[in-house]
Amino acid sequence: MSTSMKSALALLLLCAAPAARADIALVSRGPVYADAKAVPFQAPEGVACSDGGLVVADTGNGRLVRFDWKDGVVSGGTEIKLAQLTYPIRLQLDSKGDLLVLDRRAKRIARLDPKGAFQGWVDPKGAANVVPLAFKVDAADALYVLDQTSGSVLVLDASGAVTRTVPLPKRPAIFVDLAVDGAGTIYALDAAGSEVWSVEKAGAEFKPLSKGLKDAMSFPSYLTTDGKGALLVSDQNGNGIVLLGIDGSYLGRRLSIGWSEGAVYYPVQLCLTPSGELAVADRGNNRIDLFTVTR
Amino acid sequence: MRSRILLALLAVLLLPPARALAAPDPFKLKPGADGKVCLGCHSGELDPVLKKPFVHTPVKSRNCVGCHSPHAANHGKMLADEPGKICASCHDVVPAKPKSTHEPVESGCTTCHDPHASNFKNNLVKAPQDLCAGCHKPVLQTATDAKFKHYPVQQDCTTCHDPHGSASSASLLKSAVPQLCVGCHKMNRPNLVAKHQGYPVATARCTACHDPHGSNVRGMLYDHVHPPVAKAMCGQCHEPPGSPKGFQPKLAGVALCKGCHAQKVNSMLDRNRVHWAVLGGDSCLGCHSPHAGKDKGMVKGNMVTVCGACHADTIKRQALSETKHKPISDGQCTKCHDPHGSSAPLLLVKPDAIELCGTCHDWQKHSTHPLGPSHKDPRNQNLTLNCLSCHRAHGTEYKHMNPFPTTTELCTKCHASFRR
Repeated sequence: MSTSMKSALALLLLCAAPAARADIALVSRGPVYADAKAVPFQAPEGVACSDGGLVVADTGNGRLVRFDWKDGVVSGGTEIKLAQLTYPIRLQLDSKGDLLVLDRRAKRIARLDPKGAFQGWVDPKGAANVVPLAFKVDAADALYVLDQTSGSVLVLDASGAVTRTVPLPKRPAIFVDLAVDGAGTIYALDAAGSEVWSVEKAGAEFKPLSKGLKDAMSFPSYLTTDGKGALLVSDQNGNGIVLLGIDGSYLGRRLSIGWSEGAVYYPVQLCLTPSGELAVADRGNNRIDLFTVTR
Repeated sequence: MRSRILLALLAVLLLPPARALAAPDPFKLKPGADGKVCLGCHSGELDPVLKKPFVHTPVKSRNCVGCHSPHAANHGKMLADEPGKICASCHDVVPAKPKSTHEPVESGCTTCHDPHASNFKNNLVKAPQDLCAGCHKPVLQTATDAKFKHYPVQQDCTTCHDPHGSASSASLLKSAVPQLCVGCHKMNRPNLVAKHQGYPVATARCTACHDPHGSNVRGMLYDHVHPPVAKAMCGQCHEPPGSPKGFQPKLAGVALCKGCHAQKVNSMLDRNRVHWAVLGGDSCLGCHSPHAGKDKGMVKGNMVTVCGACHADTIKRQALSETKHKPISDGQCTKCHDPHGSSAPLLLVKPDAIELCGTCHDWQKHSTHPLGPSHKDPRNQNLTLNCLSCHRAHGTEYKHMNPFPTTTELCTKCHASFRR
């Protein structure tokens, strides 16, 4: 496994967005292509990161790979292969370092301990036939699950009990991901409509946040917050990252289609470290792209 | 003079609001001069026209200036205004807020009507059936070939459709289904009640099961009928007739279908990637009609329409693409994608792009460029060269489904030494 350190490369010009948050640029730090044994990634869809670590859901190979990621340098690359996880697609790290993994084939969320040992399934208590499409963890380790069966977001406490259910809007839409910010606002991403909806911490129903983004993105796949007033949307079919304000305003677009380093091809999950590093699960390029976020 | 007044009155009655005819003569023609003046020069053209059985009222009244400007005009054929506007000044035929509008109404009335005279009623340029068949040939052909024909279709399309626009319904229907159907088919007739197993179908959408243009299946059901419907086993899926739950199915979503299609459903669910539609929304009914359908598998319609209901962006990309991909144009999304699920990303039917594209394209004839697992992509050590290294299957705004504006830009991504 090699991680090339590249000279700073601003990938796209900043658009003339009104807010200062639009001054976000992504500087390519080169991709990660394989594990420590040089086994290449195959269609990776998930990535989770912290200051010091990076975990990859190497979806096509049916495994996870754990790396150290310190001072911008990625090293290691230990394989975690579990019988329970044959098609991992989304990862989240909780405050204790436990790894939560959504497996698309099993249609369940697994909990692994910090060493990667399987601890069990997180099956929501109080909801039947849940099919989780996506999930997020907040700072208090509450789990937010986008449930296709009930068409709602289920909020689970640490024991897995459903403490809150927020129905998704009943309309032609394909909700594929959600995000939650520090204030407890939940955001939901509609891939078909290219829209983001939101509900405040005490709210009962989602309301439209950003509308009419069809020209800005095409079948987006992933949504996350940067903790600094912006939402990052992985524009899957449009091949890029779209920046939105938490008020739904369009702030700009970063990255573009390509196979060379610094470009993306069907990007999926994104993760941001507190120190401002960004990892992108670049499914079509069979790699994880690393960037430094500069403002 | 009296005859002119009578003609004008008749025109007002027949063609409300006949503003153009009622307007004061702007050309201050001498009495009796209108029309006759024109015919002085144009008699050769107009004499045969005037002998036709259906003559447009202004022509009949020799009011040529009702449509034409005699001195100069900004429009072809010296028309006084844009053709559609001239017609609309007398013929208020399109509803103010139509649910559907016939495309020729937008593009030009003369597609269907002769503005001077015709051998057919309403000044149609052809016999009604032939005229409709000019654009709607497949529908008319189906109707002609059908073993079980719908009588009104044999007579005149306008029995059910308003050729200009419908204020109440899609597809230019004069009224919505089932109101339109029950106008002729009295649903309380014992034989119809028995045929429908006593279910209250008078309020159901008849066209969910029946092809109104005719079919090869008795009862004019669509050509592909769900076996329980064909065997009149409605109770297999629905609560009994008379149930307070009405037509409600016995089970919701995929659970109902699984009752018979367990093997198929289980095989779908046992894939790495199950299509969202299989598990979400109306499940199977998101794409399939539960009773009968025109297409194999009782898919609700052309795949561009069915798949495009969610994947509009992808369909739009093909529409905007300079080079079109035939399977998409033909509505054959399933040539490349498995609509239920797959183990490959993008629900591709074959995970290997060369193999998939090779089902239609003989790439060895198409290109001498090295392709295949033994050829690394110079841009990315984890990729080998395949068709999608250079093309985007749903098209781009550039030629040959090229992801970059020019071929040079594409080629020099790898062949960097030739970059200028």
